[in-house]
This record gives sequence, structure tokens and C-alpha cells, in this order.
Amino acid sequence: MVGVIMLNRIVLISLLFFYNIVLAETLPVLSGVGGNFSAIANGKEIEFSHFKGKVVVLSFGYTNCADICPLTLGYYKRLYNELSAEEQQATKMLFITVDPEYDTSTHLTEFVSHFNKDFIGMTGTRAQIDTIVSLFKAEYNKLSVEAVDTDEIIRRVIQKKIPDNVSKDTAYVYSHTVSLYLIDKDGDTRALLYTGTPIAEFADKIRILINE
Amino acid sequence: MNNIKKNYILFVILLISSCAATTPQLQLDGFWVVKPPIVARSTAGYGTIRNTGKVADTLLKVSSDIGFVMMHKTEMNSGMAGMMHMSKMVIEPGSELVFEPMSYHLMFSDMAEHIHQEGETATLIFEFEKSGIIKVTVPIKP
Repeated sequence: MVGVIMLNRIVLISLLFFYNIVLAETLPVLSGVGGNFSAIANGKEIEFSHFKGKVVVLSFGYTNCADICPLTLGYYKRLYNELSAEEQQATKMLFITVDPEYDTSTHLTEFVSHFNKDFIGMTGTRAQIDTIVSLFKAEYNKLSVEAVDTDEIIRRVIQKKIPDNVSKDTAYVYSHTVSLYLIDKDGDTRALLYTGTPIAEFADKIRILINE
Repeated sequence: MNNIKKNYILFVILLISSCAATTPQLQLDGFWVVKPPIVARSTAGYGTIRNTGKVADTLLKVSSDIGFVMMHKTEMNSGMAGMMHMSKMVIEPGSELVFEPMSYHLMFSDMAEHIHQEGETATLIFEFEKSGIIKVTVPIKP
């Protein structure tokens, strides 16, 4: 009887061992992508390490972006709704502006809250934003007129300079990375996804990281 | 006299047929504007323009009562998405131009504040090279 129990335990431990190997192969750590940073969220300066213990979905954008960014946040909304209440509590959805001069913390918070009150808009000084963009191997360009070389796995949006007859406060357009970064509870980036990823598939990846 | 009348009717029919053959037949379907967050000053518009005529037409400009409008196209190539400003767009006969997310779209900027009210609509004014001005009233919805 004791032998059977011991055998069951060995089988269980072996299964867990191989399960973890499979998980690690499914979502390997993307070394060199991401890291700790400071930014302003809800009017307060916070460190990214504050989210340790949570699975994080992170993307870049700005509030004057018409097509991609509302689409990304609409995708965030559908993805978040796919998760259970417990899974939502274990997940943080971050939207980092590349236009910190226009996107104040209050403005950004109101913008992302339109999609879900739990979503976190992060802004900061231009230097802080540049640090975050660099950490995540992302890119942005103000008033870009042509594509810039970049890694194939990093998706970017290139926008043309808008005409001179548009009022000044809306005249700033940016090209920016549109990848969705999936980050585990230790702060390591585990996948680069995008808004074309099926919601159920993305949600499953979040669950894998929650259950690690 | 009867022959003259018949010839006249035939001439008018031929004239109308001839005009139809050289005029684009445009149909604007399903246009709508995305209701943006209250603090946003930009949003996008989507819909379809069908050309059921025998000749091409060119969309030169779109304007609206709710803000400044630009014609954009988001392009995905080798893992990159590019957003291009389109100065004009040709709609070939028997084809359609579809404005949809991550593709061709109307970008609205410098928007009026009243668009956040319930049931609000927008007037879109499309200016075509051959068909001239076509106005449509479209919903603003989430």
C-alpha cells in the first residue's frame, strides 16, 4: 500500500516536472526584452517592480492615435473580459504613452478608463518614456515620414506628418511599436503578441503564467 | 412624323445608356464613426464604397461636421505596420473600397465635443472626381 502511494507521488512529481519543462518551452523568457523602470500612473510615481507577482500585458500608444490604439485597448477589453474575476485580479493591463507631453496622467487615466477602470495608463518624463521604450526594444518616432529598420518581431506603426492646417495641439502623430508584451510574475517578458492573436489563445497564455 | 418621334426616343435611350456607361455608380454602405473616450480628440471611421458602374472614380477628399478628416491606410508587412496618408483613392469599376480597422480608415482629429452625447450622428462629405459630392449621415457608436 505504501509502495503504491510512493509510486503515485513519483508519477505526480514527474508529471509536474515535465509540465514545467513544456511550459518553459511554450513561453520561454525573452532575455533582453523588458526590465524595471519608473513611470507615473494615476498621478503617482511607481516602479514596474510594484507589479511583481502579477502577470502583466503591456503596450505602447498615445491618446491622439485613431486606429491602432483604440483597437488595441478594445482588444485589451475583450481579453480582460475573457478572464475570470480571480484571473483579472492576478493580471495588470498597462498602456504606456509615447506622447507624455500631451498625455498627462489624468488625461491618460480617463482615456484608458473608457475601456476598463482597471486598465493602467502610464506616462512620465520624456526621459522615462525613452528608458521604457529602450528596455522593451520598442521604437517610436514623432512626425515620422518613413519606416526605420527594426527587429522583425517588433511591430511598428508608421504615420505620415499630418497637414499644416490642423490645429497645433492635435498635430503630433507618432509611429510606435504595436506589439503586446506578455510579462510573467517575475517581470520577465515571455511573449510578444498582437491584436490579431485569438483572444482565447492569449487568455490561455495568461493563465499559464498565472499558474506558474 | 412617327419615324421622327421613334428616332428621337431611340436617341434619348442611347444617350442615357451612353451616360451610364461613362459614369461611375457609387454606393456608400455601413459607414460609422467610433465613439471615442470623452477625453480623446481623435477617432476613426469605417464603411464601404462600392462602384457598380463601368468606369473608375477617385475619392479626392472627405470632410465632416465633427472634425478634420484624413484618409489613412494601415499596412502590415514583415511584422511591421505602416500608416500611410492617402491623398486620393481610386475605386475601379466593379470593385469596392473597404474602410476597416488595421486597413483603410478615416482618421478624425480636432473633434467637436458634442459627439459624446447619446444618439449623436456625423455628416460625412465625400468628394469624388467624377461623381462629385456625396453626403451621408452616419452613427457614432462604440
